[in-house]
Amino acid sequence: MGLVAGKKLFSIMALCAMIGLLLLPIAVSLPSLAMGADAPDAVKKDGDAKVEKGRDVYYKTEGIVVGAPAPKTVDGPRDYPRYNFESRVLLWFANQQHLYYGSFVLAVPIFCMVIEFMGVVTKDRVMGKRYDQLAYDFIKISLTAYSLTAILGGILIFTFLTLYPAFFGYLSSIFRPVMHIYALMFVAESGTLYIYYYGWDKMKEGFLKWIHLSMSVILNVIGTLLMFLANSWIGFMMSPAGVDEQGRYLGNIWHVIHTALWNPLNVHRILGNMAFGGGVVAAYAAYKFLASKTDEDRAHYDWMGYIAMALGVAFLIPLPFAGYWLMREVYAYRQQMGITLMGGLLAWLFIIQATMIGILFLSTNYYLWQALGRMRGAEKYQRYIKYLVFVLCCGYLVFITPHTIVMTPAELKAMGGQQHPVLGNYGVMSAKNGGINVIITTTILSFVWYMRGNKVSTVSWSKFGNIFMGTFFGCAYFNIIGLAVLGYYIPANVRVGLSVPQVATTLSCLFFMFALNSFMMKGAKQMGPIEWGKISARSQYALIMLATAFTWMMGLMGYIRSSVRLFWHVNEIMRDNSPWAYTHTVGFAANMISFNVLFFWISILFVFWLGSLGIKKAPVEAKAGVLGGAPQPAGGH
Amino acid sequence: MKALMSVAALIGVIGILLLTGMILDIVPSNTVRLVEGYMPMQVLFELTLFVAGFTGLSYMLGTMGMAFPRFWQGIAFWCFILLYLKFRVYPPIPFSVRAMYGTVSLIAVFMWVSANEEDWKKFKQPIMNILDAQSGANKLLRYAYLVLLPVLIGGFSYNAMVPKSEEPIELRTVHPAPPASTKVHGKTYTLQTSQNPYRVNLEGKFDQEYSNANIVEQGMGRLMKPNANPWDKDAKGYLKYVREGGEIFFQNCHFCHGDNLNGRGLHAFAFNPIPANFTDPGTIAQLQETFIFWRVAKGGIGLPNEGFPWASVMPPWEQHLTVDEIWKVILFEYWHTGYYPRTWD
Repeated sequence: MGLVAGKKLFSIMALCAMIGLLLLPIAVSLPSLAMGADAPDAVKKDGDAKVEKGRDVYYKTEGIVVGAPAPKTVDGPRDYPRYNFESRVLLWFANQQHLYYGSFVLAVPIFCMVIEFMGVVTKDRVMGKRYDQLAYDFIKISLTAYSLTAILGGILIFTFLTLYPAFFGYLSSIFRPVMHIYALMFVAESGTLYIYYYGWDKMKEGFLKWIHLSMSVILNVIGTLLMFLANSWIGFMMSPAGVDEQGRYLGNIWHVIHTALWNPLNVHRILGNMAFGGGVVAAYAAYKFLASKTDEDRAHYDWMGYIAMALGVAFLIPLPFAGYWLMREVYAYRQQMGITLMGGLLAWLFIIQATMIGILFLSTNYYLWQALGRMRGAEKYQRYIKYLVFVLCCGYLVFITPHTIVMTPAELKAMGGQQHPVLGNYGVMSAKNGGINVIITTTILSFVWYMRGNKVSTVSWSKFGNIFMGTFFGCAYFNIIGLAVLGYYIPANVRVGLSVPQVATTLSCLFFMFALNSFMMKGAKQMGPIEWGKISARSQYALIMLATAFTWMMGLMGYIRSSVRLFWHVNEIMRDNSPWAYTHTVGFAANMISFNVLFFWISILFVFWLGSLGIKKAPVEAKAGVLGGAPQPAGGH
Repeated sequence: MKALMSVAALIGVIGILLLTGMILDIVPSNTVRLVEGYMPMQVLFELTLFVAGFTGLSYMLGTMGMAFPRFWQGIAFWCFILLYLKFRVYPPIPFSVRAMYGTVSLIAVFMWVSANEEDWKKFKQPIMNILDAQSGANKLLRYAYLVLLPVLIGGFSYNAMVPKSEEPIELRTVHPAPPASTKVHGKTYTLQTSQNPYRVNLEGKFDQEYSNANIVEQGMGRLMKPNANPWDKDAKGYLKYVREGGEIFFQNCHFCHGDNLNGRGLHAFAFNPIPANFTDPGTIAQLQETFIFWRVAKGGIGLPNEGFPWASVMPPWEQHLTVDEIWKVILFEYWHTGYYPRTWD
């Protein structure tokens, strides 16, 4: 009894410690303590005569100048010290690797939180233990990756300091308080992560488990805030605010953080991290599945891959919409930035991006169709897959059609001009919105089929339900395509707004159809168990493809986002005068991204291997239900 | 079901015969026309019909005991898509886009034939038969492939590497990124916020909705709206300025951009690339009026570094036209094409 009370006390203290760690940086960031907020008062004390006012480049408010102007750099060893190599490429490499690992270690604790929660609330105790073990395995992998993230962060800062001292000096002078808070948040994240991990065994039952679960919430709040702060730096570089035209800080740190693109970047990155994390874990499971020697292992890793994929795709579905919002804000902030991205210099990279997005959805659908093969009774859906393939590929073809076509002069002449009467219509936003929404809606349909693969609804209204679902999907396709066509006949500002009903249609399919399907499948007759492990090897390659495409696309989008500043360190404030202020060719960028992807995968395999050295064996009772008992995973089962 | 599949099969057969006829020049290529303005949806619709047709055909052959092997179904469908893109769509699709479409089609075929184990087994059976080479014919084929495949790959490699005399691909940016502001005739215009001063209603006030309501109808006819004829001598406000813009256009621009604004003027084919086609939804319909103002004023040589690589020989019209004339000609271009300029509100 005393031992239990002691554990409870320990757990509550640990939770309090976490909350304290979370609140500490916030307390430090209060205006009275922040250095940036002190400065205006200090200036005032020196006498009003010395006060110089400046106008915020974005908020257009007046503020007291408290910072130095952005340095006007010159090409030379003072501002751009270098090795006999392109400094920008070194920075690119360090930055990208840090981002990959950072995304992974921020995403995995969110997965752990979700999976641990599922383990706690599920009524099947064997299943609950399996979920718990899975979450524990995830966090263990993440722990090794966490150390590597910190090391890569250090490498990144040293790279900045040694190769771009003038730029980094300026950035840190603006973000001085934010950087300190960031460092404190990092301490808080580390402390919380270790308490969460090492407290796992001590807090595995009853009330203590709920305390442990609460810890994961705090861990993720800290992680998310940490990312938001880092996003404020890149947001400032793209769309500066809180400084005047010369780049002088005006004393309002919130303006500097809350730039035009900060919020869209935050949302986009959260979703992106989650989708990426899901992809990486799914690829890990796929690799382990393919290397498995026993049916038991195959069943376990098949299940693990499915869970990771489902979580990743849950965040992949809204990701294009968040990206669309980001682009809309980019256009609203600076038209030329938007045009450089989507119609100008970087337009071809966007076509590559569209291709990668399409691959993500194709891989997901393919995996789900393969997964139907491990269910008895799913044959009735398999015969219709060819139609889904057709719809999916039509959407994909429209989605990847370039606006700026690569062609020889002979082809140009044969075409009779730059614009093609068919391709020209597919190459614009209206068609592309239709294309991606068709792709996502089809993916939702595949999920619905998967969720009901081995079941037959027994509710009295099942016939009506099926007709309603079919009609709903039919209307959704009609609405999406109809709005895409209508987009050509209306003003641009209305056309941009059409994306809202298109997205609403797609999300309606997601929420209503999933909900309706769940109701229909309540108490459904099972045609047979899900035979975990009895899935084709092709499905696992699809998962690996999914993860690789995620990784490649992250690298690509990071490059695009960074390149859009063209020859500015800080857009329109601090010019990049290094010899590398030009935009790389598409081919060079693609090779560099591929190298980063390859390096990441090799290094993460090493991390996985390290993690596997000490993987805690699953308890006997947890493994008992692996085969035959057909554990019912997330997603409606 | 059978009746439905029979109709589908009939469609499939007719489609195949028509396409074959067009490829072999037996059937005139305009027998079933791709209608301008509706082409994008027509192409998708035709492909849908073909898929339905092939499904029906496959079903009917199966019921007659003449099932077409899955392996050949996959190969034939892919070839069909390649031929359709090459011979059906006019003007010809550049190779780079056909290559993209061809790859996606190949992936689609793979996804279809490997969607379940049974289909996958059926598909790979002929390949496995040749690899196993249990019969004499298969043995012979295996040897043939052993020789032919390297020769084929070698041929492709040779073809890719051999020096060619054709002009190289010239990449360019269709919409060069504009600057934040531009100075024309001594006055600075902010591109994000400036407005066309002639987009006004009858009271002379800026009115986007009024002008939008008076443009010609989109589509093939490009009909004028009732009571919205700029060449009416009583036309006032927006319509009057459209007429003035039209006069400026026909005095200066139509030689290159064409009297239908489709980029096919008298001199158009002296340039490479030919001038912009304003009737295409990918040109002025995507842009703010201020962007057009900047492009017209500064021409090709005034394009900034951000717009690189570009290829435009348009003269800097600020040297020949006043600011008012530039705004009016832009007004006319939007009116004539039936497009609305991009706005941000």
